[in-house]
Amino acid sequence: MSDTTFDADGITLEKVREYVWEIPREGDMRVPARVLASEALLEEIEDDKTLEQIKNTTHLPGITKHAICMPDGHQGYGFPVGGVGALDAENGCISPGAVGYDINCGVRMMRTNLTYDELQGHEEELVDSLFTNVPSGLGGGGIVEAGVDTIDEILARGVDWALENGHAVEEDLLHCEDEGMREGADPEKVSQKAKDRGKNQIGSLGSGNHFLEVQRVTDVFDEDVGAAYGLEEDQIVVLIHCGSRGLGHQTCNDYLRKIEKQHQGLLNQLPDKELAAAPAGSQLAEDYYGAMNAAINFAWVNRQLIMHRTRKVFERVFDRSWREMEMDLLYDVAHNIAKKETHTVNDNGDERELYVHRKGATRAFPAGHPEVPSAYRDVGQPVIIPGSMGAGSYVLRGGEHSMDLTFGSTAHGAGRLMSRTQAKDEFWGGDVQQDLEDQDQIYVKAQSGATIAEEAPGVYKDVDEVVRVSDELGIGDRVARTFPVCNIKG
Amino acid sequence: MTQERGRRFELQDHTADIAVEAAGDSLEEVFAAVADGLAAASCDEIAAETGEVFSLSVTAESREALLFDYLDELIYLRDVRAELPVDHRVETIGRPTDRRDGEDTDADDWSLEASARGVPLAELDAREVKAVTYSEMRLERASGADDEDWEAYVVFDV
Repeated sequence: MSDTTFDADGITLEKVREYVWEIPREGDMRVPARVLASEALLEEIEDDKTLEQIKNTTHLPGITKHAICMPDGHQGYGFPVGGVGALDAENGCISPGAVGYDINCGVRMMRTNLTYDELQGHEEELVDSLFTNVPSGLGGGGIVEAGVDTIDEILARGVDWALENGHAVEEDLLHCEDEGMREGADPEKVSQKAKDRGKNQIGSLGSGNHFLEVQRVTDVFDEDVGAAYGLEEDQIVVLIHCGSRGLGHQTCNDYLRKIEKQHQGLLNQLPDKELAAAPAGSQLAEDYYGAMNAAINFAWVNRQLIMHRTRKVFERVFDRSWREMEMDLLYDVAHNIAKKETHTVNDNGDERELYVHRKGATRAFPAGHPEVPSAYRDVGQPVIIPGSMGAGSYVLRGGEHSMDLTFGSTAHGAGRLMSRTQAKDEFWGGDVQQDLEDQDQIYVKAQSGATIAEEAPGVYKDVDEVVRVSDELGIGDRVARTFPVCNIKG
Repeated sequence: MTQERGRRFELQDHTADIAVEAAGDSLEEVFAAVADGLAAASCDEIAAETGEVFSLSVTAESREALLFDYLDELIYLRDVRAELPVDHRVETIGRPTDRRDGEDTDADDWSLEASARGVPLAELDAREVKAVTYSEMRLERASGADDEDWEAYVVFDV
């Protein structure tokens, strides 16, 4: 390795500047690939197939400027996790695999006016009550069960449906991306199979890395933005991480298979079948976009129902109304999504409509951007980055260089470092749970010990370093840091 | 590797997800071996005697697509039946019948008849495998072995 290049087993990255590495075009690559990382993170990124996968994504027709790997990037299927690819919405394509199976997997943070002092002594009651009242795990059911008409309404209307049915208040909608309703959702493009899987999972966490966490704010790095987000030190907040459940997974699969049948020509040009893409303007591209938007709405309703149920749990535990505890939604952001957005694509200032695919990446629009909700337009869009259950999570705000460097995106989490099988060899769930409680006063409850082992803090990259690089690059600026108090997992 | 009849499978490391590497002494056995791997990836311990056996059939346009759709169907049935399918048996895989040299066969030429035992999810500590993926999928005859031996590699999203 020299100062200007990084050799990663067969792939050489050229240093563009601090934290920006480029894999130059070669062969059938349509654009260069870029990796945004410190050398320490790059040494982790090179350990699996991330670099090969980000190179593969540059083969997608219509890919613009660069394919980008975020500081938390790791190997996924087809498109890497922590990948951003902007594909021309007129001459390019849209790729279900580049969104991922868990459409609109994302996070939302709810504030409270409780302090850590007030919460202490209630941890076990709270974690038990959350675990009992928020459905999780495989086959854990949901908060509501929907019939045919209801599920179509949820898919079409998103959180507006939840409002009408008593699971939301008006302010929740104003603090959600797209006000909780994705335009262009077409429930008819979601298969019956997908709806059958989703109808008893509405308001459920699922399993794996999905969780609900009660946290305390430990640091506020930017007082002004912190104040605009309603965050202050020692305050209690709640973080919810989950997605569109079986409905989204089935939707992704349905369209991968349709693309395989109808657009074999395009598929044959791609180095990984999981990158299957529908050409922009084709019926299938329109259909997938309508179905994906519907699944996005489903995920928002899912997180909304869990959040509203959490309010009720807090009411019982603290014997006060949720309004009195000011349990308001701070923001909800998607981590797996494709979205039609207009971006400047060259130095002449030319603008183009693109399908921006963010898979394991977060939208991070800066202050002043018209799509930032009015409540936060002056300071920038909130970005929520969960850490592992033993480490801090972060609230960032969209940075001023995000539009230029990353199509308005930043990282989404700590990023896995270790496979699940390796994690189970190295950790035992019971020990992890006990250590967290004894050493860090973190109370964890999960459906199985295996899940705790697989999600042990040591399994994840250093979220502090991921966030430091995001902040230094000016794509997502640090606003506040939180630390877990109670965590429930599927 | 876990071995049963003429098949075996092993769960392989993958940073974010889980991969199943499987082998079988026929196409039917390798399909069932991957399905057993899917069950193992979902649950460490499976009760031996509970649940009813059910059957399923799948058709697809190619051998790989048939494997993909078979696994996708098992995941779908898990969610709608609220049961984890285990003890997989692939009774028959129907091959394209009128394949002529150099001529493409019609879509949905491959078909599969299978059965599984559905263990109620309520009785298990199971983890949700979200989906089967095409990423790095391999389905091929085992090199240098008996002509009927097959190997497969499938990554599952968890």
